[in-house]
Amino acid sequence: MLNQIATIIADGILLGLIYAIAGVGLSLVLGVMGIVNVAHSAFLMLGSFFAFELFRRLAIDPTISFFLAFPVFFAVGVIVYRMLITRVELAPQTQGLVAMFGLMVLVESLGTIAWTTDTRVITAAYTNRSILVGPIMLANVKLIAGALALLLIIAFWAFLRYTLTGRAIRAMGQNRFAAMTVGINVQALSTIMFGLGIACAGSAGVTLGMVFPFSPNTQILWLAWAFLVVILGGLGNVANTLLAGLVVGLIQTGVAAFLPFDYVYLVLYVMLAVILVVRREGLSGAVHRWI
Amino acid sequence: MPVSAPRLEIANVIAGYTPGHPILRGVNLKAEPGHITVILGPNGAGKSTLLKVIFGFLTPEHGAVRLAGSDLSNLPPHQHIEHGIALLPQGRSVFPELSVLENIELGGWSMRSDRKRLREAVEAMFARYPHLRPLQHRVAGSLSGGQQRAVEIARMLVANPSVLLIDEPSAGLSPIVAHQVYQELVALKDEGRTVLLVDQDVRAAIAIADYVYVLNSGKNDIEGDRAAFEGDLGAMVRGWLGV
Repeated sequence: MLNQIATIIADGILLGLIYAIAGVGLSLVLGVMGIVNVAHSAFLMLGSFFAFELFRRLAIDPTISFFLAFPVFFAVGVIVYRMLITRVELAPQTQGLVAMFGLMVLVESLGTIAWTTDTRVITAAYTNRSILVGPIMLANVKLIAGALALLLIIAFWAFLRYTLTGRAIRAMGQNRFAAMTVGINVQALSTIMFGLGIACAGSAGVTLGMVFPFSPNTQILWLAWAFLVVILGGLGNVANTLLAGLVVGLIQTGVAAFLPFDYVYLVLYVMLAVILVVRREGLSGAVHRWI
Repeated sequence: MPVSAPRLEIANVIAGYTPGHPILRGVNLKAEPGHITVILGPNGAGKSTLLKVIFGFLTPEHGAVRLAGSDLSNLPPHQHIEHGIALLPQGRSVFPELSVLENIELGGWSMRSDRKRLREAVEAMFARYPHLRPLQHRVAGSLSGGQQRAVEIARMLVANPSVLLIDEPSAGLSPIVAHQVYQELVALKDEGRTVLLVDQDVRAAIAIADYVYVLNSGKNDIEGDRAAFEGDLGAMVRGWLGV
């Protein structure tokens, strides 16, 4: 019994790391720029297909794709920022929300045309193997995906905390006007930051694709997970996002161990509703919390 | 720290937030190096708007902002720092969740490619304001109003600007701290910097002014040196402003 509980906890932590990384980019873009990027999950999905295609066509392992996805999706993020966000970022938030929703639908539709709605899996050499760590049985793929997610989260945290550019991003989230008075080019920094958010989504999508079956439609489910993590953890704070991801992961594995899997979503969404009621502010209020 | 500062010149500037509805309607002024030039006027006169135009937050519809003869009218705000212009905005402007050290470091954002120079500039600020050194790891938002103002001034000075645009520096501060802020502005002027001060505290501003402009409804109204404003003209302006 104790072994089973330990396995559930370890499994929940690994899943939680993946959920946390799915929420980090969304949290940062929302917290600093005030953009509700509902298209975030579309880039998670594209990240999964990025790894899928590299694996299928070039036999590139998803762990390599994880690192390749970051610069590729950073470039995608920069393009999206320049072509779309700059046109709506000064408009009322609803206008930006509609634009991002449109982008999400566009990406999902293009994904459906390219890959159909069939469910895909990435079956790497280690996908169906497990490792016994003491009394705990862990799936290799979750261990690898969790480690990659943790690596990215730590890198992101260190970037925001210890680099001058990271501090400038945090400063911009706290007082955009004052950031401009010290000579920060907020337009250039916003471009970098949105690029980083999408880069995070791309790499997170690779880890999600390693662990879960996916199709272009799966992104809606992932969007709910990402928002759940963001609402639970608050905005722009990497440590809180990590904690929130771990809570969601542990609840999922804990509930799934004792109840039919469908109850997992029931519990998670009830939790989401309770958080929104208790906090009484939702995302619009959360935007004003500082990073 | 002697500074070789240029003259700042505002020439017939027309500007506003909505095209066709200018707040500034042909403002002219000059701010000389080593002088404190004060801009006074009632609420809505366009004082803060003028600082926004000078720092590039607003592009004038007409006229020019010149520094040592170069037109800066179309430069974005971040490029003004590179020309030696710094702005101390009205109200609290620290980054509240960053430490004092991180706040001051960001003042040297334009020097980020030369970390050694940036570190030396930050150290110079702690030497100039030694009371900030023990607070350097404190979160800026947890400091008192006066301490936050000191952080903002140190942050403004890290890049060693030669032209200082100061907007309502004493707003929300106790009289003692406000007095210290005005004394610091005098010290900055004595270093040779060009200081352009917008203020509602007419008495305090005139007391340190070398030259005073009064704006009214977005236009130049009256102007003169401090002596002119300390006499009858001063009383007239104070009466006109209702202070």
